[in-house]
Amino acid sequence: MKKFLSPRVGVCLLGAALLLFPMVFSSPFYRDIGVAFLLAAISASAWNIVGGYAGQVSVGHSMFFGLGAYTPLLFYTLWGWSPLAGIPAGILLSVALAVVIGLPTFRLSGHYFSMATIAVAELIRIFFGTWTLVGGAIGLQGPAVARGWWDLTFRGDLPYYYVFLAVLGLVLFVTYEVGRRRFGFYLRAIKASERAARSLGVPVRLTKLKALALSAAFSSAAGSLYAVKTGFIDPDSAFGILVSVQMVIVAALGGAGTLFGPLLGALILVPLQTAANTWFGGGGSGLTFIIYGGIIVLIARFEPGGLFDLWHRLAPRLRRRAHAA
Amino acid sequence: MLLDAQNVAKAFGSFWAVAGADLQVEEGEIIGLIGPNGAGKSTFFNCLAGDTLPTGGRILFNGVDLTRASPDAHARAGIGRTFQVPATFEDMSVIDNVTVGAFLRHPHRNDAREHARRIVEMTGLRPDQPGRSLGTPGRKRLGIARVLATEPRLLLLDESLAGLTPTELRDAIALVRRIHESGVTIVIVEHIMEVIMTLTRRVLVFNQGRVISSGTPEAVVKDEAVIEAYLGRGARRPPRIPPPHAGEG
Amino acid sequence: MVVLQVIVGGILLGAIYALFSSGLTLIWGMMNFINFAHGEFVMLSMYVALLVVLYLGGGPVGFGAAAALALFVLGVAIYLALIRHVVRGPMLSQILSTFGLALLLRYTAFFIFSANFVSLPQTSLAGTLNIGGIFLPVAQLVAGAVAITLTIALHLLLTRTTIGSRLLAVAEDRSAAMLMGIRPDRMQALAWGLSAGAAGIAGALLATAYPWSPSVGETFGLIAFVTVALGGFGSVLGSLYAGLIIGLIQAVSAFWLGAIYKDIVVYGLFVALLWLRPQGLMGKA
Repeated sequence: MKKFLSPRVGVCLLGAALLLFPMVFSSPFYRDIGVAFLLAAISASAWNIVGGYAGQVSVGHSMFFGLGAYTPLLFYTLWGWSPLAGIPAGILLSVALAVVIGLPTFRLSGHYFSMATIAVAELIRIFFGTWTLVGGAIGLQGPAVARGWWDLTFRGDLPYYYVFLAVLGLVLFVTYEVGRRRFGFYLRAIKASERAARSLGVPVRLTKLKALALSAAFSSAAGSLYAVKTGFIDPDSAFGILVSVQMVIVAALGGAGTLFGPLLGALILVPLQTAANTWFGGGGSGLTFIIYGGIIVLIARFEPGGLFDLWHRLAPRLRRRAHAA
Repeated sequence: MLLDAQNVAKAFGSFWAVAGADLQVEEGEIIGLIGPNGAGKSTFFNCLAGDTLPTGGRILFNGVDLTRASPDAHARAGIGRTFQVPATFEDMSVIDNVTVGAFLRHPHRNDAREHARRIVEMTGLRPDQPGRSLGTPGRKRLGIARVLATEPRLLLLDESLAGLTPTELRDAIALVRRIHESGVTIVIVEHIMEVIMTLTRRVLVFNQGRVISSGTPEAVVKDEAVIEAYLGRGARRPPRIPPPHAGEG
Repeated sequence: MVVLQVIVGGILLGAIYALFSSGLTLIWGMMNFINFAHGEFVMLSMYVALLVVLYLGGGPVGFGAAAALALFVLGVAIYLALIRHVVRGPMLSQILSTFGLALLLRYTAFFIFSANFVSLPQTSLAGTLNIGGIFLPVAQLVAGAVAITLTIALHLLLTRTTIGSRLLAVAEDRSAAMLMGIRPDRMQALAWGLSAGAAGIAGALLATAYPWSPSVGETFGLIAFVTVALGGFGSVLGSLYAGLIIGLIQAVSAFWLGAIYKDIVVYGLFVALLWLRPQGLMGKA
């Protein structure tokens, strides 16, 4: 007997599950994982736009995340403003940075872009570590006690969960819409063959820039969410390589270039990482990187399309076997 | 005059792949470009399409100077091209491949898709087939369909008919003829003489970066300079057969 | 006087930068491929040197040769097991393959050796020389001199020997090289061996003169990028000039602006290069 699950029904079920999750699993432990899952999914989906759909592999996306993380807390620290005011500023800065990086590197081969992303992320990280205005190596803090809802300092995870869920919904919606329109087709064409894309009139450089800008904007938003929830940011948690790696691996494991790949990746990796932290304690982070490195190499070598791609290849075979049985 | 390429030249270091080639094409013509391997045809084509920046010369299309324009600007102006080795968008279906091209003149998704569907039907491909599952003839046909969707005024076909069975070749020739009849000006680089003889009215012969002969296909094939280019010097006279016992073997 | 010392010290270090960067540029020229784990190769060879000294005893020549050999083998192995499968694949595979490898190598090293800085026990290259008022550790002097020599040797190997011309032939036109009886796969494996070997020797040289920890891989990797960008992707000679210049700039920046800023200047230079002159001093973009 073959059960047929239409994609629409699947998405609705997913949405319902996500909405109900913190109600059903209401202990702080589970809600914390839920929030971490959403954040990972948002960041990876943001990366996915330029790395998965357009095929421009950034390994320094933490620079956008970090800018988005710093600006809300900076606005608060310097002028006592609500962190909410810093979020658009972070997005603007990130988009500007995206253009600065993309303009020179997108006319060269893909490797230049990737190298540039590592170098610039590192540059910014070191720079912020020395700049006293943004707290130097110590970093910045957000409001300890909320002066109102606009300080986005909530007790308990529940409000954060639903804010994050809304943002995730927004990223996915935008990605979905982009995929259906000319912009999305052009991105996929560029990823497949820039030369052929150009010959069909695709303005390759401009399209890549737009993708990077969009991706940067969402990454910045993710960073802002992180800072607002944690109430604290420093150069390493903002611009460190772990942030960049996590965005990449979550998207790539699930399936870079697919709509729900980042979600799938987050679904697998976030609980795994939580489990690893619980078992190995603080020393787990070194081990985490080793495992991440290994997974990334395996994905690159055997399954660049991630788990979704693997599923698409195996599913027909499984279905055939189910029929034969 | 639709295309006016004057004295086009391209050097790679000290090697002149194209050393002063002219091509004037009137709207509605169908022109062949032949020549031995390494004669510079592909490089010349790449200059016309904007894939290569010419070292010298001018390329005017419909009066507009496109000499230094990017490939996508060429496409927007109305010059389309195919590639010798088709660069199919592997992860996309046939209809999606063609839709990419269709978006050039139809920015909205539904229009583009409609247009693409018509083109896919005309070329006889199956719309939902994944790009990567196509064999070489299918890929070549897809390449043509894709560029057709951009509604070019001038179509540059770069050895798009090579490697086909006789039946496929006949269908391909019919397709090119249909495209020509729909109003598209065509310049075709080909090695297959059947294609040149049946399709084209005017032929240019390339050798060593220059046009060494031009005219109707029948005339060009008999041109001594052309024979020499293909077969080498001394081919004008029949080869001398040495008498037996002429010396050591 | 101090300034002169800083300058000479910078140039000596820059010579070693030139050596390992020439390995990176060789791979780029051959295969249009960037090895994001190249810095980790250097870092690993430093530990190889340490292990050889601690467990097998031996002088600079001994552990130098050991590091070079070990890394050569590693380079070939990585090419065969990983690189040749991804080099024709999507960009995501290509970039992630060596990026993931870098993470793997770096954090395994952290795991095994901890994050503490280490240095080699006293070797025969101990001591300082006084040359015209400048005090230079012997180790740095020898390391710099050897590095320059080897970089030039690599350049000559590529441009003057048969094997070198075969490597370049594959870089130039793979199919044509095959028609000439050259096996591209073998040449590329050799190139990876040479590239890693260069990193290996550079690492051994660095180990004689400077302390390190697993974190230096990331720094050296970025310095290699900058050096290759400045010298021109694909040009070993360019790497030589660029390496010396980068070493110099780094030393002078540290002197004038403080140690924290020296990396900022170098990475900033990289970004500026990408903007203004991606083909570098002597290479092809």
